[in-house]
Amino acid sequence: MNLTRQPLLSPKRSEALTAYLFILPTLFGFAVFILYPIVESIRISFMDFNILRGSEYIGLENYIDIFKDKRVATVYGNTFVFTFFAVFFNAGVGLLLAVALNRRLPNFIRNLYRSIFFFPLLVAHTYIAVIWQFLYHRDLGVLNYYLGIFGIAAIPWLSQGNWAMVAIIIMDVWKNTGFAMLVFLAGLQNIPTEYYESAQLDGANGRQIFFRITLPLLSPTIFFILVIFMIGALQVFDTIQVLTRGGPGDSTRSVVMYIYEKAFQRFDLGYAAAVSMTLFAIILVLTLIQFRIGRRWVHYE
Amino acid sequence: MTSQQGSIAQARVLGRRRPSRKPVRPGDILTYLLLTIAAILVLMPLLWMFSTSLRPIAESLQLPPAWLPTDWRFENYREPFESNVPFLQLFINSMQITVSVTIGQLITCSLAGYAFARLRFPGRELIFLLLLASLMVPGQVTIIPIYLSMVSWGFMDNPLAIILPGLISVFGVFLMRQFFKTMPQELLDAARVDGAGQLRVFLQIAVPLSGASLATLAIITFNSVWNSYFNALIFLKSWDKMTLPQGIAMLTGYMGAGNASVVMAAVTMAILPVLIVFIIAQRWIIEALTRTGIKG
Repeated sequence: MNLTRQPLLSPKRSEALTAYLFILPTLFGFAVFILYPIVESIRISFMDFNILRGSEYIGLENYIDIFKDKRVATVYGNTFVFTFFAVFFNAGVGLLLAVALNRRLPNFIRNLYRSIFFFPLLVAHTYIAVIWQFLYHRDLGVLNYYLGIFGIAAIPWLSQGNWAMVAIIIMDVWKNTGFAMLVFLAGLQNIPTEYYESAQLDGANGRQIFFRITLPLLSPTIFFILVIFMIGALQVFDTIQVLTRGGPGDSTRSVVMYIYEKAFQRFDLGYAAAVSMTLFAIILVLTLIQFRIGRRWVHYE
Repeated sequence: MTSQQGSIAQARVLGRRRPSRKPVRPGDILTYLLLTIAAILVLMPLLWMFSTSLRPIAESLQLPPAWLPTDWRFENYREPFESNVPFLQLFINSMQITVSVTIGQLITCSLAGYAFARLRFPGRELIFLLLLASLMVPGQVTIIPIYLSMVSWGFMDNPLAIILPGLISVFGVFLMRQFFKTMPQELLDAARVDGAGQLRVFLQIAVPLSGASLATLAIITFNSVWNSYFNALIFLKSWDKMTLPQGIAMLTGYMGAGNASVVMAAVTMAILPVLIVFIIAQRWIIEALTRTGIKG
């Protein structure tokens, strides 16, 4: 106790010293596993990088090759299609469920439904893809069996390109829409009831209330969900890797799957790093665009 | 409290919704219908997984599907442990990685979060901003240099390749910082007046009071590491080192479509820890996810 009354350092200095010690582990890990890799990745993207036969700088060649690479166009096309539909349906279904849950319901019922919708979020993409692989089976799958009862011919869910993409999007919405539901529900519950009361006094009907009050007041939440889901969808990997392995052909291969293939199966690390830089740039640009457009339709109180 | 009472009073004045016997409106029926259909659609694949896991292997893919287990073949659950796939080893590997990373993050993130929230030091805002900015960089950008580091350190096919980068988390630091910022200053000051050093204030006052946030961080980290696949696919190559998601993804191909029962038994067991955590800590998880807005 006496020691602390006569400190070697001034209190201010000792506080700063303690702080640096506290953040040291994080800073060390940050330097080694985040900062250095970012810088190094930029450097590698300008190299013909090969572990076995040595590497050399080739300037912009990797980036030029990306523009010539037809598979890059394909995987970006797939990723954009997936992102567009996954974001749209995840947000749309999530909003629908949240609005339904926000109606007058007994609390017990609301919590029960909320838990059910939310649970798939916690299960690994891998396991979900393994389950759905069986459900989507052309001849033995549950889905085609029930569709068959309604006279719908067997759908080649995983063996035909467009259907495979549909299958991936359905599965993604099944898994992730619960997150949108959760955030929308929280957003809806934050809307002060006074707004609804005065609208009702003014004689507004349900639809008017929804479009004139609920949606504008929910717009920051909608914006947040769109951005988060877009960033996540642009990096899709696990589900597709397990469900279709990018096939048939390249018809469901995503950008990250392509980076994985180039880097860790072909060991063309320089080229893979360059592709990852383009993905980073596209995520940044699309996020900025969303923020730009968002200014026009998002109402902050 | 007062604001709550105020709003109750206000509600009375405005005659806000009170529990009265209102006629059932078509909207209410539609609501229940929508919610119930959605809930059935969400539950069916999971129910199919469970009932298939208990079916005799020869009937595992029989149509029409039996939605409720008819046979209760629990020996399907023994099969993964006795097959050529070292299921128990996969389970242990995943547990080892997940627990190490979770404990590591609890330590590093609470220390750094506390420093950024409660201690003054030169460069605090700048360093924090740098950390936050890195959240924008997708993992695919950093994975290639990390891979090269692991190769040169001889950590390929070694759980350390996944554990080491996982020991820190910018998101976790952010979460803990936000929490420590809301902690009443008087509590910390009182301890300091008593002559306690910074470390003691942190360990004896701040940490014991942050149980809920530490639990939140632990749950989010546990779930995301337990489920992670991308890194394992890159770093772990041999059967006795692989993680559960990796093993189960391979199991499907290995066992063939005919063995759905055994695969589903394995998946059910893999989901079990998540289900248990979910049942115990549901409220925390939902609150944390809502507040912090990250995906599981």
